[in-house]
Amino acid sequence: MSTWLEERRATAAEQNEALGVPSLSDEHWRFTSLRGVDFAAFTPAVVATAGEATGAILAEGDHAGRIVMRDGGVVVDEFSAEVSAQGVVFGSLARLADDHAALIEPLLGTIVGYDEKFAAENGALWTDGVLLHVPAGVKVQLPFHVAYEIATPAAAQQWRMLISLGEGAEATLVEEHLPGQPGYANGVAELQLAATAHLTYVVVQDRHDETVHFAAHRAEIAKDATLEWSACSIGAKTGKTRMETRLTGEGSTGRLSAVYVVDGKRHLDLDTTQEHDAPNAVSDLAFKGVLLDSARSVWRGVIRVAEGAQGTDAYQENRNLMLSPTARADSIPGLEIDTNDVRCTHGATAGPVDPILKFYLMSRGIPQAEAERMIVEGFLEEALERIPDLRIREALTTAIMRRVPLV
Amino acid sequence: MPDLVIRNLHANITDTDTEILKGIDLEMSKGEIHAIMGPNGSGKSTLSHVLMGHPGYEVTEGEVMFEGVNLLDMAADERSRAGLFLSFQYPFAVPGVTVANFIRMAVNAHRKGGPDGADNPVRIPEFRKQLMEAMEMLEIDKSMASRSLNDGFSGGEKKRFEILQMAMLKPRLAILDETDSGLDIDALRIVSGGINALMGPDMGTLIITHYQRILDYVQPDRIHVLVDGRIVRSGGAELAKELETTGYAEMANKEAVS
Repeated sequence: MSTWLEERRATAAEQNEALGVPSLSDEHWRFTSLRGVDFAAFTPAVVATAGEATGAILAEGDHAGRIVMRDGGVVVDEFSAEVSAQGVVFGSLARLADDHAALIEPLLGTIVGYDEKFAAENGALWTDGVLLHVPAGVKVQLPFHVAYEIATPAAAQQWRMLISLGEGAEATLVEEHLPGQPGYANGVAELQLAATAHLTYVVVQDRHDETVHFAAHRAEIAKDATLEWSACSIGAKTGKTRMETRLTGEGSTGRLSAVYVVDGKRHLDLDTTQEHDAPNAVSDLAFKGVLLDSARSVWRGVIRVAEGAQGTDAYQENRNLMLSPTARADSIPGLEIDTNDVRCTHGATAGPVDPILKFYLMSRGIPQAEAERMIVEGFLEEALERIPDLRIREALTTAIMRRVPLV
Repeated sequence: MPDLVIRNLHANITDTDTEILKGIDLEMSKGEIHAIMGPNGSGKSTLSHVLMGHPGYEVTEGEVMFEGVNLLDMAADERSRAGLFLSFQYPFAVPGVTVANFIRMAVNAHRKGGPDGADNPVRIPEFRKQLMEAMEMLEIDKSMASRSLNDGFSGGEKKRFEILQMAMLKPRLAILDETDSGLDIDALRIVSGGINALMGPDMGTLIITHYQRILDYVQPDRIHVLVDGRIVRSGGAELAKELETTGYAEMANKEAVS
């Protein structure tokens, strides 16, 4: 292993030691208690567990490359020769770490730092993951598909992903967290988009009902580049996901869309930032959730506009449809604005299915259960229709609606 | 016996003592057009909602028989499948559900549970053809079929889409609640033309309106005047003209003293 990598792990390990497990008094963990999580019960997964991963929603069709990580290592590491010939780098992060140090060293741990407990833990302990680099001017049409699965009960999986797009590069990456076995998953994804690059990033979290899932995804978006980010969360017992965008270049765009269906006793916590560090950038966040049973969702989102980021256009909304009186949704929007001449708006709602709208549908002969389902699907569709790829959109809609029972 | 018989219908706003309908009696048959006219707050819209089974109202007394069955025992979807249709005064937006999909689901819900109890969904090409014909009749642009129902539609467009749904569901009793409100003269002509085209011996139409304007286009057989939750007068089409000159207040007073 390279010295720089060892040094970086050591830095992260120090931080991990220094930082305690967050409690409810920590601002970012105010609504997500970790008291019930016995971290000692999980066994760090250090190697791959052979076998086939199952339960992917978006794996159909042709890919530019495909990676499956089971427990601590990668078991499928495929990459189109044609795309490789264009100078694109894709594959297991552990395998490529030495040969592509020049790509990895400036990225790893620089976008998501080690100042937060679980990011630090991952920085010290990650075993494998994904590297994608698309050089300047290269446009990859087919999507890359990445799947993470816990294959051994009570395993702790530490995955890491680096994506860098050169100037004007284009790519689509689909990342799926498969149901697998119950365990603990903690990961970090660092995304860097150079000027005018365009990345479509789709993340599906469908972890096992008893799995604890933590992830920190953070993107830096340079001048006139666009990140089209769609997330879908339907799994895990306790899920805490950071989705952060930093708009570093003038005229850049970050669009974040998320749909989630939270049922049973699941707890889902989404923590987002839209950081405007440059003028005339656009960020647009739309999260829509459906809550059932005694499930709980938390969205905490901040729009931060730095001094000098004039002409910022930032929007955030979180809407929750409550299908059970014992479910709970908390929305905490936030604005921190240090400049003039900006447009920042936000909205948050939580409410049951509108009985009058239901009556309208029923007055056309549609039975009650079907009417409710139609309202739910229509509600989610407004976020799903932001996904540009029709095939992805339809597969996600089907997978999500399977979680909504006919009541 | 008439196809629709409303007897001594009383209704409250749900969970209150506020009585809106105070004993309505009305009879009509298929092939007839009746109009219910009355001032604001007289209970016109309440009557239309109560007939369809709106959850915001509860019936405290009386009965509503349609083709020999008591509608009040049925949920709104069952009433629809029993042949009732309500054109809403304020139709709802259904985001994420296209006009075509929505109407197809409604049509299929009506076809389901036929004599053989099978699903029997409409064949899509056949459905498209019928939908396009109905849209043409109502002068609706065909591209609107793939828009979310009523989402961002103008008031006038919503009314046309109500009649479009009526055309596709082919009710035996259509209740049109203030369908003329918010329509300009051209839209009123188109919508009225649609209603007239759909009328026939197998359909009755109950027009609920504040103004007699729509009655210049759709000729009623009977007019009922509703004031303060009661029908104070019934008569032929000429009653609309009389109302124009006397006004509701005077007519209500006259009835009260007579």
